[in-house]
Amino acid sequence: MSQALLLHPDRSFAEELIACGGGDLKKCYQCATCSVVCELSNVGAPFPRKEMIWAQWGLKNRLVSDPDVWLCHQCNDCSTRCPRGARPGDVLAAVRQKSVEHHAVPNALARSVNQVKFYPLLLLLVPGVLLAAALVLRGTLERILPLGEPHESAFYADFFPHWLLIGFFSTFTALSFVGLVFGLVRFWRGMAAADRMDGKEPTIGVGASVVRTVKSVLLHDRFAKCTDRVSRRSSHLMAFYGFMALFVVTVWATIDLYLLPMLGVESLYPFNLLHPMKIVANIGGILLVMGCVKAIVDRSKSRESGGSSSFDWTFVWLLLLVGITGFVTEAFRFAVDPVQRTALEYAAYSIYFVHLILVFGLLVYLPYSKFAHIFYRTVAMIYAEHSGRTQGGERVELPAVVEKAS
Amino acid sequence: METKVAVYICRGCDIGDSLDIEALNEVAREKGAAICREHECLCGDDGCEMIRQDVQDGANALVVAACTPRFKTDTFTFDGCRTERVNLREHVVWSHDPNDEDTQALADDYLRMGLARAHKALIPEPFDEEIDKTILVVGGGVTGIAAALDSAAAGYDVVVVEKEQQLGGWSGKFARTFPHKPPYREPEPIPIQERIALVESNDRIEVHTGATIERIAGQPGQFDVTLKANGSSSEFRVGAIVQATGWKPYDASRLGHLGYGESPNVVTNVELEEMIATGTIKRPGDGKPPRRIAFIQCAGSRDENHLPYCSSVCCRVTIKQALMAREFDPTAEAYVLYKDMRTPGQYEDFYRRAQEDSGIFFTKAEVTGIVPSGDGLRIEAENTLLGDRISLEADLVVLATGMVPNSADGEAIRRYNDAKAIVAKGEAGAQLEAAKQTVEELGHVEGSAILNLDYRQGPDLPVLKYEFPDSHFICFPYETRRTGIYMAGCVRAPNDSQVSQEDGSGAALKVIQSLELASRGEAVHPRWGDTSFPDFFLQRCTQCKRCTEECPFGTLNEDVKGTPQPNLTRCRRCGICMGACPERIISFKDYSVDIISSMIKAVEIPDEFEEKPRILGLLCENDAYPSLDTAGLKRLKHSAFIRFIPVRCLGSVNTVWIADALSRGFDGILLIGCMAGNDYQCHFIRGSELMDKRSENVQEKLKQLALEEERVQLFQMPITDYERLPQVINEFAEQIEEIGLNPFKGF
Repeated sequence: MSQALLLHPDRSFAEELIACGGGDLKKCYQCATCSVVCELSNVGAPFPRKEMIWAQWGLKNRLVSDPDVWLCHQCNDCSTRCPRGARPGDVLAAVRQKSVEHHAVPNALARSVNQVKFYPLLLLLVPGVLLAAALVLRGTLERILPLGEPHESAFYADFFPHWLLIGFFSTFTALSFVGLVFGLVRFWRGMAAADRMDGKEPTIGVGASVVRTVKSVLLHDRFAKCTDRVSRRSSHLMAFYGFMALFVVTVWATIDLYLLPMLGVESLYPFNLLHPMKIVANIGGILLVMGCVKAIVDRSKSRESGGSSSFDWTFVWLLLLVGITGFVTEAFRFAVDPVQRTALEYAAYSIYFVHLILVFGLLVYLPYSKFAHIFYRTVAMIYAEHSGRTQGGERVELPAVVEKAS
Repeated sequence: METKVAVYICRGCDIGDSLDIEALNEVAREKGAAICREHECLCGDDGCEMIRQDVQDGANALVVAACTPRFKTDTFTFDGCRTERVNLREHVVWSHDPNDEDTQALADDYLRMGLARAHKALIPEPFDEEIDKTILVVGGGVTGIAAALDSAAAGYDVVVVEKEQQLGGWSGKFARTFPHKPPYREPEPIPIQERIALVESNDRIEVHTGATIERIAGQPGQFDVTLKANGSSSEFRVGAIVQATGWKPYDASRLGHLGYGESPNVVTNVELEEMIATGTIKRPGDGKPPRRIAFIQCAGSRDENHLPYCSSVCCRVTIKQALMAREFDPTAEAYVLYKDMRTPGQYEDFYRRAQEDSGIFFTKAEVTGIVPSGDGLRIEAENTLLGDRISLEADLVVLATGMVPNSADGEAIRRYNDAKAIVAKGEAGAQLEAAKQTVEELGHVEGSAILNLDYRQGPDLPVLKYEFPDSHFICFPYETRRTGIYMAGCVRAPNDSQVSQEDGSGAALKVIQSLELASRGEAVHPRWGDTSFPDFFLQRCTQCKRCTEECPFGTLNEDVKGTPQPNLTRCRRCGICMGACPERIISFKDYSVDIISSMIKAVEIPDEFEEKPRILGLLCENDAYPSLDTAGLKRLKHSAFIRFIPVRCLGSVNTVWIADALSRGFDGILLIGCMAGNDYQCHFIRGSELMDKRSENVQEKLKQLALEEERVQLFQMPITDYERLPQVINEFAEQIEEIGLNPFKGF
């Protein structure tokens, strides 16, 4: 028997959820249609029914430490079937946003990043100023830092040299990732504490859970169970693998540029169009753009079946713009004659600058934006395996939350 | 006047094609019909004209052998005549093989039975006494006011009796009620003062406040009321009564497990309502305004140890009170812990309205305890989706208690008074001990009487389940087991004020109906229009009191010796007294032990060598007879060996008929009536149940005669079971054939 939970009804948290996309949560009257129609929900302790009443009572601690909200892929089957129009799918999305904001370090940044009014400042001005400052300081830094002989042959390196690029982004991304790791650790601990309070024991080790989860993520197999809108899986797959390809290429380019010469291998950077890595990069870019476009089109078409908050929209648009500006940047590289430079050069630098601003927005704010789901969801899925909520991504029958038949 | 019997046989509706009409004519002539005619379509203008002509020529007992008496009743009703209907269509040709020997025998017997009855039955003469049409409304709340205003508007004089000093009841004490009109979202003021003003200014309505009823003697149309109002007595006569005595809250002192009485800050919803009426909500403990108010739904309701039923309003009351608490103090929070939220009809929108408010929290929960905690209270609950076990702190706890009818258990009061009389007499014996025990057990009913009726069966209405005195609420709303006394509002069933008001109007219509019927000497539902009434041949009465005890409607009072004293307008003409009477001294002009016995004797019993059994079916007219009609309409076949006699109620079956039938050579007897028991469907409440008891005596008799007890069976059915009915008949017939023929045949 678990111990009695002292409730602290919290109107303000419920109101926060209402403000960020869970506008209809108060309409729920606990009929459980949502949990019945959900293909992912566990038997016995199903979401989103319990999350709906936690949300109504503003039980923040329960919600932000609830791995179940991350097991939902927001197909919104529950929202379309809800007899009261309480939109459980949207409420879970709002809870996920609150969960990210709650765990993120520093907390204030998380709360600001997701407010539309701060977008010009945080998404554009801050990275713009920082990047401009980096450019201004370039000469000084070149003198101070032991950079060795630059062998930059890339076009954009003249504008923003690779050492500066890597140094700049590594620094800021590393800082934000320290925050992310803190956040994820707090998240894990929160989930474990909540389960301990409910008297639940972990079932399998963390290592095995990680293996199972990675497999599940790579296959997007849970996503495939959201029967109502399978197309969301394909757009997510494209964007996911597109992004992964670009991530791998970026890492490889850095290796190619700096590590290979140390090993005495000639750097091939910048890659020509037929270089395998360039092919991977271009395919990845195309997938990313296609995935984002498809997601945006699908969402616009089906707004009635799945509401999207600014939290969702910002992320997908940012990702798309990063992809598009990336391609434009690439096109300029081939359009501008490396020897006979023209006014086009400045257009190219400008678009590259914009691209870098957007990449900053995407990467540095990752722990605070919807992009954080890539980690929070993964951690939650690992925890779900670990705690026995899922087995290899499959739902299981759990002891009921409500033990006695009423 | 001499009886001149005329028989009319209709050939329409397959009758002519399926039966030998000439043979039927022969039967009619043999059995003494003065006139015997047939027609292709008797119910047509031509056929009716033919009958009318004979009536003019002196025919006064008509036997119409055609369709069921439930159809064309008006067509075959002629002034100054009794019409006996022989159901050749539904019960013969539509439910048996055409042109068959057994079918013909069946039709012949039915015609013989019809003729037997036509010869003996007389035209009832309605009693003619002066009827007072004043309506007494007991209770001046929202229901009583509606009954009074509507009765007055229909042109009847009304007397309203209210025990409190002012009219209005609970509605007059509350500030607002939940909405009664679209969009059903916000609490509304109660327009009761306007209604009270209408009552007080109405010339037809006389109001007595601060009044109680000392005594009501007499019968519908002639109730003599003695009233005690503010110290003085008055007497007057009324014709009929609406009891709208309303409800009282469930006794919260029994809810100690929910903290009531343990902490001053645990209050009932009625107590909170009284606070709201003053304009502020304060904790009784310290007078502080509560910031967190917890509402515990079903406090003692839907609980076998307290009130097993749902009062239907408490959920809406809580929603209203939560909204008003939030209106008084926008920082306040309301927590609602429910078993199920029940907001019938449009009130779902009211529930939605409360849910929209982020300061009102709802959860299903089983509250296990409420204990003081610091300055406030801690509520412990289980089985919630917020957690297996939760605790919740609140400043004020409101118990949503249910409604208890303001009724008095007339039968219990009577038992108590009888027992008290025995104890007072003090004659030693076992009876005295039993009486002492009864006095002890029923002590709580002392002084609880409301109507103080001068009825042998008790001074108030008999109560049914959960103390509600309703008769049978689905089929006969507002009716009680006392003719001319109707029940409305929360004393009938837990209701909100709007439904109570409608109830008051409905009861007004019923009460007017009963007065008008009484003024014509006619019975009320279900035998409305019946002018017959029971005659008592008192010279032969043995004062066994069975009739006075068994009458479901308290019709009969007793004199000191125990001789029944009829009150005819109390009677519903079910004939249960006739079935009960061992001396067979009770009879109606058109329904008596002798008439039915003659019908039984009219059936021709084939001798044992023919191997054709004969079964007597006694069929309740209320549900079983229509059911068999429906079966015929659907052409469902049943055994041709059974002969049905319709009875007013199974309770009117006198066991002498069973003895007669068996000695005549009937091989089996099937009694078919309405469902008895807790959810009875018997139109006369106890008829089926009484027959069931009498059957035990019948079984004894069968044993004495060395007959198999399976030969007499009782079957109870709902009216919708018409498809099963032919099966039941056929199975019984098969069983009788298996047992073999009655050995008394031919004696």
